[in-house]
Amino acid sequence: MPKVNQYIATSVEKFSQKGGEKVSNYVNAAGKAIIAPLVIMHNPFTKENEDNRKWAAVKQPVEAVITIAMQLASLALLYKGVDSLIKKGKINFKYVENATKDISKIPKKILEACNNDYDKAITMYREQYNEIFKDRVGAVVSSIAYLPVLALSNKVYPKIAQKLVNKNENKSSK
Amino acid sequence: MKTNLLNRITNSELVNKHINKAIKDDTFAAKTLVTLNVAKDVFAYGARFATTMQNKEIPEEQRPFVASMDLMSGVVTAAMQIGVGYSLANPKIQNKIWDKFFQNCKFDNIVAAKKGFSQILALIGSTILAERILVPLIATPAAEKFEKKFFHHNTKTEQQRSLSQITFADFEKDIANGIDA
Repeated sequence: MPKVNQYIATSVEKFSQKGGEKVSNYVNAAGKAIIAPLVIMHNPFTKENEDNRKWAAVKQPVEAVITIAMQLASLALLYKGVDSLIKKGKINFKYVENATKDISKIPKKILEACNNDYDKAITMYREQYNEIFKDRVGAVVSSIAYLPVLALSNKVYPKIAQKLVNKNENKSSK
Repeated sequence: MKTNLLNRITNSELVNKHINKAIKDDTFAAKTLVTLNVAKDVFAYGARFATTMQNKEIPEEQRPFVASMDLMSGVVTAAMQIGVGYSLANPKIQNKIWDKFFQNCKFDNIVAAKKGFSQILALIGSTILAERILVPLIATPAAEKFEKKFFHHNTKTEQQRSLSQITFADFEKDIANGIDA
C-alpha cells in the first residue's frame, strides 16, 4: 500500500506541474469519454428508448476526443507564445517586482518550502505567478476553441453514431 | 500596443491580487478552477443545445432528445459541480485525505504537490463524480420530461394548426378513407 501511495503521490506531483488548465481538460475529457456514455446507457431512472440513448451516448466520446486534441493544440501554441514573452522579460507582475525589493512580500509557504532561501523563493514565486497567468488565459482560449470543436463534432458524430447504431441493429437482427 | 496591454495586465491590482490569493490559498485556487470549469461548461452546453436543434445530420426523431439532454446537462451540471467541487476543495476534507494517503510519501516540491492535489481532487469530484455520474442520472430523466413537454407539445400544436387548415374536401377524403379527424 505505501508503494501505491508513493506512486499516486509522484503522479499527482507530476500532473500538478502541467498547470491547472491542462489538468482540468484531461480530467474533463476522461470523464466525458469513459464515464458519461456508460451512465447515459445504463441509467435506471429513464425509460427513453435505446436508440435515442445510443445517439446521446456516442456523442460524448467523439466530442471528448476532438475537444482534447483541439484544446491541447491551442494551449501548446498559447503557452509557447507566453513562455517566449516571459523569456524576453516582457511579463513582469507588479507583486513579484515588489517582492524582489522586499522579502516580506513573498508568501510564507513559498519561503518555508525554499528553506528561506531568498533566491529560490523569488524564482518559485515568479514561476507560480506565470503558471497561474497562463492557466487563466488558457481557460479563455479553451472556451473559444470549443466553437470549432462543436462545428467539427456536429459533422463527425452523426456519421459515427449512424454507423454504430446501425451496426448494432444489424447484429441484433441476425 | 501588445506591450501596453501586457503592462496594463501585469500592473493591474485586480489581476495581481487574484493570482497572489491563488498562490497563498490552495482552497481558493481549487475553487477558482472549478468555477472556470463550470463557466466553460455552461458556455459549451448552451452552444451545443443551440446547434443540435439545427443539426440536420442528426435524425429528426433523435434530435429533440439529444438537444434536451444537452440543455438539461448544462443546467444540472452547473449546480452539481459547484456543490461537489466546493465541498471537496474544503481544507478540512483535503487535509484528511492528504494525511491518510500521503503523510509518509516523498515529494520534490510539496507546495506544488499539495496545490495540485487540491485542484485534482476538486476537479475529479466536480467533473467526474458530479458532471459525469450524478448529472446524467438526473439530466436523462429531466431531458425526457423536457422533450415530452416542449418538443412534443410543439409537434401537437403544429398538428393542431395544420388540422384547422384542412379543407372540407380533405375532411371528406379522410372520412372516405376511414380516418377519424
